[in-house]
Amino acid sequence: MWTNVLRANVAKVVIELRRYLPNTISMFVTFYVIFLAMLLGVTVVGDPAAMDQNVRFLLVGNAVWFLLLGGINSIGWEVTTEATRGTLEQLHMSPVAARWILLARLVGNLATNLAIVGLMLLASMATTRTWLAVDLPFLAAVLVPMLLAVAGLAFAVAGLAVVYKQVQAMLQISQFVFLAMAFVPLATAPWLELAPAVKGIDMLRASLVDGAGFAATGPLDWLSLLLNGAAYFALGILAYAAAERRAIARGLLGRY
Amino acid sequence: MPIPHAATTTADALRVGDLRKAYPRRGAPPVHAVDGVSFGAERGRVVGLLGPNGAGKTTTIKMVCGLVRPDGGTIEVCGVDARRRPRHAARHLAAVLEGNRNLYWRLTARENLRYFMGNRGRSPREVAAAADALLERFDLGEKRDTLVADLSRGMQQKLAIAVAVLAGTEVLLLDEPTLGLDVHTADEVRRLVRELADEGRTVLLSSHDMAVVQDVCERVVVIAHGRLVADERVATLLDLFASRAYDARLGAPLSGDQEAELRRAFPLLVVNDGGRSVRVDLPHGDDLYRFIDVLRRERTPLESLDRVAVRFEEVFRHLVRGGSDAQGTHAFAQEARYVD
Repeated sequence: MWTNVLRANVAKVVIELRRYLPNTISMFVTFYVIFLAMLLGVTVVGDPAAMDQNVRFLLVGNAVWFLLLGGINSIGWEVTTEATRGTLEQLHMSPVAARWILLARLVGNLATNLAIVGLMLLASMATTRTWLAVDLPFLAAVLVPMLLAVAGLAFAVAGLAVVYKQVQAMLQISQFVFLAMAFVPLATAPWLELAPAVKGIDMLRASLVDGAGFAATGPLDWLSLLLNGAAYFALGILAYAAAERRAIARGLLGRY
Repeated sequence: MPIPHAATTTADALRVGDLRKAYPRRGAPPVHAVDGVSFGAERGRVVGLLGPNGAGKTTTIKMVCGLVRPDGGTIEVCGVDARRRPRHAARHLAAVLEGNRNLYWRLTARENLRYFMGNRGRSPREVAAAADALLERFDLGEKRDTLVADLSRGMQQKLAIAVAVLAGTEVLLLDEPTLGLDVHTADEVRRLVRELADEGRTVLLSSHDMAVVQDVCERVVVIAHGRLVADERVATLLDLFASRAYDARLGAPLSGDQEAELRRAFPLLVVNDGGRSVRVDLPHGDDLYRFIDVLRRERTPLESLDRVAVRFEEVFRHLVRGGSDAQGTHAFAQEARYVD
């Protein structure tokens, strides 16, 4: 049953990506332009001696920021849009609980986001002629638990959307929080290790910028990453479930 | 399309018992949207859920669908306690809610069917043939690859019903299925609803269109101010409220003496059109002959005499205006015959 739910929702995400192609392209272009603006800043203001390192840092940070934005806000926007269209109620009348349908939708969104981020990263690297160290097995091993934390945050945002519906302002402001998460290194703020996904972002940065792989990563790092992902995922699902119960108790599901 | 029946000891596919829901208001007493509503819908029947705006119909429907949590009462769908096991109950229930709010406009007709069935855990291969057959049955075959946004209102509504039907559930809830549809499409939807009931599905239909209700519903449950007003067969209600009144068109306006004589014989006489027509209540067969005798005696020419036909709309109006509970319906109907 779950396989069919996943298949249906991934197919829907891909279909709508094609149908809303101008929107998808403009999203890509927007973030590329933002990257170019940041690159200009780094080039003009940054230390020339550390230019190469700074550009690598920028490449990774921008890609991660885009991934976070797309992932965390995705189902929040989906819930708001579904409520506007009226289809949110249909999702809640399925024999499969709505949270699992939304999880399937999130998997689809994250997968397509990853593909778009990959393309954007290629375009950015080609623009700067700076090539990052890509260790795919390591990246995959870090991304999975990191994206679990992202999914947890996404569900927390979706829970707010189910109850309050109009969360667009909050979603827009949150992109600056994600900017900080994507760019602030753990070395300067170690307490951020407790924040969702930041440990994973740090490990990704270490791999892409400095070439750190499995050999350079200790068991405590993996433990921290896995616990962070699992904890935030569980908390996010619980937050969504609580919000959904409140919305149903107050008859808020269909209201926009 | 054969409908699998869940094992249950009751003849009702849907049973609602003492359902209650109140919405809190800041600084004011709560609004009791639904206050002790109970009814059942037998297998293979079409039951109308009626009421004026704000009566509690939508809240009732949403509670049955699991979209609003009741404050109290029971909901059983094919014998499953829908409050304790909502996901299990959802396997036996599909709904089309009011308006064009049930579909994804950027997906085609076929994609919508596949998507919603996917969310029910069904594979695309399993659904493909049935989806195409259903689109043909609903006269949407040529539109299978058309975006919902490009379909007419009537086609969107038929597609929404097709999605609910494809789910293969025993119970269907249709909230205002003919709202905003032209006459031809509304007729098609009515035909489809009757066919679905003939196939063994139980349909709970909510509508403000009394002509639709009279046409397709065998029984109606009427709610007003959150409470049950009537739960009765449509035919019985029409009989109860059947008019015993007749409209007589006269050849000449009644004189004062003629009118006085008629009123002596029939105190509830209503004179219209400047005395050129009268409405008279004739509860017994002999009353008709008495009426004609009085006209002949008073030399009042009679052009035509027609029985006043009762429409369900009038029955509904009487029920929500003055009925208080299902048991009072019969007594109230007796009174209502004398109310214009």
